[in-house]
Amino acid sequence: MTISRRDFGKLAGGVSAGLATPAAWTSARAQNQPIRVGCTVSQTGALASTKNSLIGYELWRDDINAAGGLLGRKIELVVYDDQSAPAQVPSIYSKLIDVDKVDFLFSPYGANLTATMMPLAKQRDRLVVGILTLASNDRLRHDKFFQAAPWGPNGADDWARGFFDLAKAQGIKKIAIVAADTEFSKTAAAGGRRVSESMGMEVVGYDIYPPTLNDFSSILRNLRSRQPEAIFLCSYPPDSTAMVRGLSEIGVANSVRLFGGAMVGPQYASLLQSLGQNLNGIVNFHLYVPEPTLKFPGIEGFLQKYEVKAKEANVDPLGFYIPPFCYAAGQIISEGIKATGSTDQAVVSKWLHENPVSTIVGQIRFNDIGDWTERRVLMAQFQGVRGNDVNQFRQAGKQVVLDPPALKSGEFVPFRQARA
Amino acid sequence: MRTLPFLVIAALILVGGLFLPQFVGNPYYFFAGYVVLQYVVIATGWNILGGYAGYINFGTSAFFGAGVYVAAFLIKAFGAPLPVQILAAGVVGMLLGVATGYLTLRIQGVYFSIATVALVVVLETLIHNIDYLGGASGMQTIAPPAPAWFGGQTQYVFCAMLVLAVVAVVAARFIERSWIGRSLRAIKASEPAAEACGVPTLSMKLVACAISGAIIAIAGAPYAYYASHVDPLSAFSLTIGLNALAMPLIGGTRSWIGPVIGALLLASVQQIATVTISSEFNILAVGIVLIAFVVLAPEGILGLIADLKEKLRRRGARP
Repeated sequence: MTISRRDFGKLAGGVSAGLATPAAWTSARAQNQPIRVGCTVSQTGALASTKNSLIGYELWRDDINAAGGLLGRKIELVVYDDQSAPAQVPSIYSKLIDVDKVDFLFSPYGANLTATMMPLAKQRDRLVVGILTLASNDRLRHDKFFQAAPWGPNGADDWARGFFDLAKAQGIKKIAIVAADTEFSKTAAAGGRRVSESMGMEVVGYDIYPPTLNDFSSILRNLRSRQPEAIFLCSYPPDSTAMVRGLSEIGVANSVRLFGGAMVGPQYASLLQSLGQNLNGIVNFHLYVPEPTLKFPGIEGFLQKYEVKAKEANVDPLGFYIPPFCYAAGQIISEGIKATGSTDQAVVSKWLHENPVSTIVGQIRFNDIGDWTERRVLMAQFQGVRGNDVNQFRQAGKQVVLDPPALKSGEFVPFRQARA
Repeated sequence: MRTLPFLVIAALILVGGLFLPQFVGNPYYFFAGYVVLQYVVIATGWNILGGYAGYINFGTSAFFGAGVYVAAFLIKAFGAPLPVQILAAGVVGMLLGVATGYLTLRIQGVYFSIATVALVVVLETLIHNIDYLGGASGMQTIAPPAPAWFGGQTQYVFCAMLVLAVVAVVAARFIERSWIGRSLRAIKASEPAAEACGVPTLSMKLVACAISGAIIAIAGAPYAYYASHVDPLSAFSLTIGLNALAMPLIGGTRSWIGPVIGALLLASVQQIATVTISSEFNILAVGIVLIAFVVLAPEGILGLIADLKEKLRRRGARP
């Protein structure tokens, strides 16, 4: 049997097309498949109060999908509950990467949970956006890690530095530091002492109390005797509540002009509601407050949508602290994909390192280990709070931003004067 | 089961498991398998004191946490390899078991159980205040590259845990069938009667505490490499204590196979539930299954099987 050149050409073409069909079909199928983003959310356990982060992710997904998706592909979230347990995290992230085949990752909430997935992310060379995790990439230096929270470079030591900048600006010379005996608080306290001393302030008291303490009367009386001008308090929600109530019952020395700094708790609606006007005068850290200087594009629309979803889910009704940064975490990924026209981890990471990203929490630039190049932790003072209505905190002027200077929205009022 | 077939099956499981990384490519199965095997070791260790001798230990996580932090210390101080970490954790767990036993075994029943809870609080507080070990926030324990044979760090720690599980089960079976096991069962039945028969009860209980402590502690040693981060909350977790108690009770405490069945069953269900239904169900499942077994089958699955065999035997014997 002989075969003509024309027949041979037809045969070769047919075979080639036959061989190429599965590859073309697979490629087309991949193009139609959603872009999958995976993470864990602490829906149960000690960190269950952070589960409103899921609303942030879902709103980002819905907004992107409503706008037609990314590169013609929808966004799909794959979320598991890590039970607030670090031991659960490695296997869940392995499932996300190896079984669910997600394209991008959000970290779990906080440093302890994130630390258990970072080596895996680096080993598999995956792009991860960190969710309010402090200094999680300092040691690993994974080049595809990007931080969604504004701790800034050298965040482990410097995140509360704004409080000391304020103290210096007020000419304060004597400071007392009070901290819970937990790592987060002790680290903040130690950093505070270093900064105070470098600024020439005298540390007149340095008290570490057990985390189970609920009666702060002796600590407050002790502080009165030392006559500090500022008190830097590093506390957790139960201690923050007890201390603020103690302030109203026992009070502090007349010399105190600046109080607060690193209190965890007054960022959440439940504590704002229960403490109400007892908060007046306290200067404390926050990540977002509804002040005119923080009207970033999209944030108000986000908070309106959040309010509806939060009511349905029965979670924090304000959602200032975590959810906007989860939405921004999604934007970090989507902006990278849009700009590069690619879902390639290396291409998107390179672009993110080289370009600013516009998000609902402002414009972000990343340094070589994915931290924000500028610290943007807010020091805000409670002013003019009346009664216990939580809705008043949606208005400007109740949590006035004093630091950083670029976002300043009001003037500092000395502690006693603000509480009068 | 006779000794020779038992040892052959144990050897086959061990060899098969060590070859698993050559055939299974997806690391997720090794992550999940590690957790299941970890609970086989913990439940087996717990059963030596709790099941054979009848001394209920609520402080399992203290021994597990001790193993975790011994490994973390050796990694940070000397960069010690995993086998050294495991051996050291075993020695520390054994010493801790003897010390705890010596202080608490003079009290019995619920008082002993409460005393073991104190051990968890003491050790956790101690770790919270040791800055060298990372205090409350913990420390990173990033593993060096695993031996090439295993194909990855997860596969390596899985194989290490498989070896520990086989060793623990073989040891538990040996103890159960030896004079130590007989002494412990006598203590469980009636301590004064055992004493009257010449059983050195305190010494035997100390031996049980030491072996149990060592086995639980070695289960904690590979955790540092598994999670790449250790912290007191995870190392001294209540979940470990709860599972260590529930698994032998569900499987059956009288024989070495009971904790193995309980651990394989419950840990597998937990792993599946975590990534399928909901982790809230996960916690609920342990509670419901535990209550169901305590009420309906106090002798565990082994007891149910024995009852079933007895019924069948009687039915067969009927004319």
